[in-house]
Amino acid sequence: MVNNPTLCSPEAHQLSKESDYKVDYNHNKVNQWTATIVEQSLTHLVKLGKTYKYIVTCAVMQKSGAGLHTASSCFWDTTTDGTCTVRWENRTMNCIVNVFAIAVVL
Amino acid sequence: MDEFQSGEETSFVVEEVSNIIKEAIESAIGGNAYQHSKVNQWTTSVVEQTLSQLTKLGKPFKYIVTCVIMQKNGAGLHTASSCFWDNTCDGNCTVRWENKTMYCIVSAFGLAI
Repeated sequence: MVNNPTLCSPEAHQLSKESDYKVDYNHNKVNQWTATIVEQSLTHLVKLGKTYKYIVTCAVMQKSGAGLHTASSCFWDTTTDGTCTVRWENRTMNCIVNVFAIAVVL
Repeated sequence: MDEFQSGEETSFVVEEVSNIIKEAIESAIGGNAYQHSKVNQWTTSVVEQTLSQLTKLGKPFKYIVTCVIMQKNGAGLHTASSCFWDNTCDGNCTVRWENKTMYCIVSAFGLAI
């Protein structure tokens, strides 16, 4: 059974470490940041040692007044699978990280 | 004899999923301009339509569909995803679509049961 709060706190931690409040949106570095965030989050989740498959997605957007909407829909076993979303922002950018965990039936 | 036919029935076929996603996007937002009051409805419509078409394929998969719609105004948007799964049977497909006023990125992940 997925316990969402325990999934969410490692992610929030990763985000605040990786993307410092003082760092501004930098086109050259964003690719590196999104890759680091998803990879570190995934590593962290796998270390929990639970029998789950994981999908981690991250979107970083520059703050410029544009509208951004995201939605997701899942077809799975609601008793064992779950999701967690963390929204983070600083002065120049918004970051949204989604984690999906699917139980593996052994 | 049955073993030789297992390919199509139980694997994640990227092209098939990609077509499903494109149809869902076209029917939900094709020809529309970005409108703040309608975007919520559009993203919901895209993911729900995609998911229902995927489940109609009748394959033994769990699915996750995500959709991002962003207004075009010069802002940068970067997305990344990382997956811990079984490479032999799980898969994903991402479709990027745009028109004059917005970008739409839809990702579908299929995990074999």
